[in-house]
Amino acid sequence: MNFDLSEEQRLLKDSVERLMLDSYSFGDRRKYQTEKRGFSEAMWARYAELGLLALPFAEEHGGFGGGAVETMIVMEAFGKALILEPYFATVVLAGGLLRLGASEAQKAELIPLIAEGRTKLAFAYAEPQSRYDLVDVETRAKRDGDGWILNGSKDLVLHGDAADKIIVSARTAGDTRENDGVGLFLVDADAPGLTRRGYPTQDGLRAADITLERVRVETANVIGDPAGAFPVISRVADEAVAALCAEAVGSFTQMQAITLDYLKTREQFGKKIGSFQVLQHRAVDMFVDLEQSRSMAIYAAIMAVESDASERERAVSAAKVQIGRSAKAIGQQSIQLHGGIGMTMEHSVGHYFKHVTMLDTLFGDAEHHLRRLAALGGLSGDQRME
Amino acid sequence: MKLLVPVKRVIDANVKARVKADGSGVELANVKMAINPFDEIAVEEAIRLKEAGKAEEIVVVSIGPAQAAETLRTALAMGADRAILVKVDELVEPLGVAKVLKGVVEVERPRLVILGKQAIDDDSNQTGQMLAGLLGWAQGTFASKVEVAADRARVTREVDGGLQTVDLKLPAIITVDLRLNQPRYASLPNIMKAKKKPLDEKVPADFGADVKAKLKVIKTEEPSSRKTGVKVGSVAELVDKLKNEAGVL
Ligand SMILES: Nc1ncnc2c1ncn2[C@@H]1O[C@H](COP(=O)(O)O)[C@@H](O)[C@H]1O
Repeated sequence: MNFDLSEEQRLLKDSVERLMLDSYSFGDRRKYQTEKRGFSEAMWARYAELGLLALPFAEEHGGFGGGAVETMIVMEAFGKALILEPYFATVVLAGGLLRLGASEAQKAELIPLIAEGRTKLAFAYAEPQSRYDLVDVETRAKRDGDGWILNGSKDLVLHGDAADKIIVSARTAGDTRENDGVGLFLVDADAPGLTRRGYPTQDGLRAADITLERVRVETANVIGDPAGAFPVISRVADEAVAALCAEAVGSFTQMQAITLDYLKTREQFGKKIGSFQVLQHRAVDMFVDLEQSRSMAIYAAIMAVESDASERERAVSAAKVQIGRSAKAIGQQSIQLHGGIGMTMEHSVGHYFKHVTMLDTLFGDAEHHLRRLAALGGLSGDQRME
Repeated sequence: MKLLVPVKRVIDANVKARVKADGSGVELANVKMAINPFDEIAVEEAIRLKEAGKAEEIVVVSIGPAQAAETLRTALAMGADRAILVKVDELVEPLGVAKVLKGVVEVERPRLVILGKQAIDDDSNQTGQMLAGLLGWAQGTFASKVEVAADRARVTREVDGGLQTVDLKLPAIITVDLRLNQPRYASLPNIMKAKKKPLDEKVPADFGADVKAKLKVIKTEEPSSRKTGVKVGSVAELVDKLKNEAGVL
């Protein structure tokens, strides 16, 4: 297999990495964090200018037809810089739902708005009782003339407080946890009956809890089949996991580099601490975790677009298990090796640890995916447990 | 008017360069390479001239190994129109580069050649000047501002202790300094367009140029590492140290 990037992929990587290097130091990030919405609108405009917000969409909708590998490249660079902007929420999640689920008319209207940086979206899927189960949906959508009425509540809507529009999963039929009967509804963030409470997540990004009380949605704003959206949701979730894995690899790369640098700088007992063999072992372990994660993230990106659901899910779950484990391993090592300073707000390494911990829990942590993987017969698919 | 911008593929400015074990040069195996930062500024300036309607076509040229095509693609993705790769596997010294460029100039007939003031790998700072010499053209080096009119160019140069403005008759050579502009990032639309732009491959002989090395590298060494500093208590103490320890006053 040839893992070399194509010419366009290399140029994309160069561009994004350079932008991050020039405009997203840890100090810049702290400044952006104090802006009104907790991220930089100016950077969002730069992403639009570079075409990043249009990356995964088809060319006929004003996009660039980028695939999971292109998304991986961007997310990895973003993970290195620990960006705050709602790229994942808008482009990967909501963008994914539009790409795979929306009608031509909906795409024609919304994708240019996203691409130009004029509209931010969020995806409201999690509910207080749902844990990692995307089909566990209690929010209800009831027919009302030629529209729908939504009632329910959604938790941890990533960047829900900055979104102009929110895609809500809601049940039009069936019992909680039934595959059939879930629909996707596009709701304006200021729709009557919708309230949101925004808050910082533990890694310094933003999320919102959302309550829907008799929120009316016109038929034109239903994305796909109102009772059959689950296959789209689960595909997007798999693509999202692949993107998160890439983002985590970016963060891991940085955590490993910062820590290695520290080992080569910090002196104790009159020597660089990196000269102590026990610490060298730890550094090697970090590197091994990083490289295993990188390989699995690449695998997940390649498989994220696989149409065979079980092959796709096996690959994505296996990658997420690796990422979750490495988040802990690399995170703990990097804090340990830094000592006290690694826990301060002023040092970046602790912020990385918090973020990768968050990445572990998004769309299922290592344990959840290990269980899914086991149920699917393991990575090769032939080790099914009865 | 046509602009020619020579771009060199060099070790990425963010990579810490290491000397090869045998001291013959800098280790380049598995090292990230990039377009020379000054050349990026030169490309940007050319694009701005084109955007301002002062130029019609931007040709970028690189003399180097096959991988220098990547550097050319980077320039095309920024907005250059066409690229020429003059393939040479050995390192080419500034005089060799200038001779090839002279040949390219004779074929392409640009009104302006915009180069970087120096390539950050060997910091020669010679190619532009040598090319001007070989062609007998006017030169404005270390440009921090460039204004182009019909057949003249005004170049503001960064010189020790101030700025100097020279007025050049075209055709001319300009070499650019750091503060001339802030180069753009290649955007996705431009990356996609770059794919379709022509990139011609040539060899030095096509331009009748001899690129054989004339210099011999005797040895390459890492700079000695910086000693830790000391904090001084007063200006008087600083002056005393500068005088008596550093011997610079
Ligand atoms: N191999 C090369 N290919 C293309 N342009 C070059 C090459 N070497 C030098 N140049 C150009 O000459 C400028 C000065 O380089 P130098 O004299 O080597 O410091 C660079 O900034 C480039 O614009």
